[in-house]
Amino acid sequence: MTRTEHLALKGTRDGLILYLDPAAEFGLLINELSQLLEKSVEFLKGAVIRCYAGKKEYTEDEHAVLAATLGQYQLELAGWLTEEEVYVPGKSQYAAVDKETRHLEDGMVEGSCLFVERTLRSGKSVQFEGHVVVLGDVNPGAEIIATGNIAVLGSLRGVAHAGATGDRKATVSAYHLAPTQLRIADLVTRAPDEEGRGPEIAKIKEDQLIVEAAGMSGWRGKTR
Amino acid sequence: MGEIIVVTSGKGGVGKTTTSANIGTGLASAGHKVVLVDTDIGLRNLDVVMGLENRIVYDLVDVTSGNCRLKQALIKDKRFTNLFLLPAAQTKDKTAVNPEQMAKLAQELKEEFDFAIIDCPAGIEQGFRNAIAGADRAVVVCTPEVSAVRDADRIIGLLEAAELRNPKLIINRIRPEMVKRGDMMDISDILDILAIDLIGVVPEDESIVISTNKGEPAVMDQGSKAGEAYRRITRRIKGEEVPLMALDVPVGIMDRLKRLVGLR
Repeated sequence: MTRTEHLALKGTRDGLILYLDPAAEFGLLINELSQLLEKSVEFLKGAVIRCYAGKKEYTEDEHAVLAATLGQYQLELAGWLTEEEVYVPGKSQYAAVDKETRHLEDGMVEGSCLFVERTLRSGKSVQFEGHVVVLGDVNPGAEIIATGNIAVLGSLRGVAHAGATGDRKATVSAYHLAPTQLRIADLVTRAPDEEGRGPEIAKIKEDQLIVEAAGMSGWRGKTR
Repeated sequence: MGEIIVVTSGKGGVGKTTTSANIGTGLASAGHKVVLVDTDIGLRNLDVVMGLENRIVYDLVDVTSGNCRLKQALIKDKRFTNLFLLPAAQTKDKTAVNPEQMAKLAQELKEEFDFAIIDCPAGIEQGFRNAIAGADRAVVVCTPEVSAVRDADRIIGLLEAAELRNPKLIINRIRPEMVKRGDMMDISDILDILAIDLIGVVPEDESIVISTNKGEPAVMDQGSKAGEAYRRITRRIKGEEVPLMALDVPVGIMDRLKRLVGLR
């Protein structure tokens, strides 16, 4: 973060945001902006910047001057943010709550990964610290044990244990999910009795192992 | 240079020996020089199915351990002069032979014969490893039962691990009327799981029991449905394109009426 008396430049997940003090005079802001950019221009070159100045509205001329100033330093003015889009300490929990739920939904998204480029037949066991992706089927009698997620690009008919070291955020997904037994962390379930159609994903929600259609609307409901 | 084909299944009682006898006899009747090798040491059956039990003097273990020459142990078939049997020993067990000896024997057989059909014992232990040691191709026999499909799946995995690629599948003892009622796995259910090439479907047939007891393979019985299925399998093994046998259930008068009025 870089700031002067009436300006602040912050990097966020959605790009750079320039905060302007709504109470400050426009000329002063432009002066401070030039000084600020002079110092950090090499680092910022080519970036896209959005601005926020609370409820204050600037004239079209002022807007053009701001864009030109940014332009001098190869920065692009991408627009203005509304109050809802900006995190203001103490005012709203909106941004923080959003971040929290997103994190939960994301589950385990990173980590080492093993690709199994064939069908796992009965008697085969794959154990891996990380995620496992099978390019083929997992037949009855075969098992996969992973500390992370398991994804099968085919039919999963064997035993799958995701989050084997106790991670409840792990998921098991397959194009055709009909496992002999499904385990995530410390929970165990059998395959649902009704045949699933299309890709499905199993995860833990409120201490329950649930299976839902994977978010590929184009495939959903398509009969096999 | 001949070809060594191993007939295997994992599960017992699905018809490996019957299939070996019929494929071997079928190939011999087409004029090829064929040898059947029984590797089920200690539980030999192929000699009985072929009706050659009373002609055994030397066996597989005698050959591999050097007690006799290969020629001495080969038994000529009753019906075809170009068909031979190398029987298993009954008084020993699977450890009497090792895979290296089998691979060496397979090389010898290849020079002498067009086809060697190896009847594999049930299981995945030493007997299985012996049987596949010298094989060029594999045929997996499976019945339409969940347990047999499981074992076949395991066997296919082991064959692939042993570099025996693209094994072929025979579905044995299928009962079309049960499949139709939905009481038996159908061909596509099995192929869905095993995902290998199908080389034949043999219907359940009482004539198999009769022919086995008489020691005369059903493939020579023109009136037998199973025999017809084996004749087709034999031709496919030789590389011919043959359609699958129609497994129609006899249609009753009520069914015909229903079909006529468009109820089904």
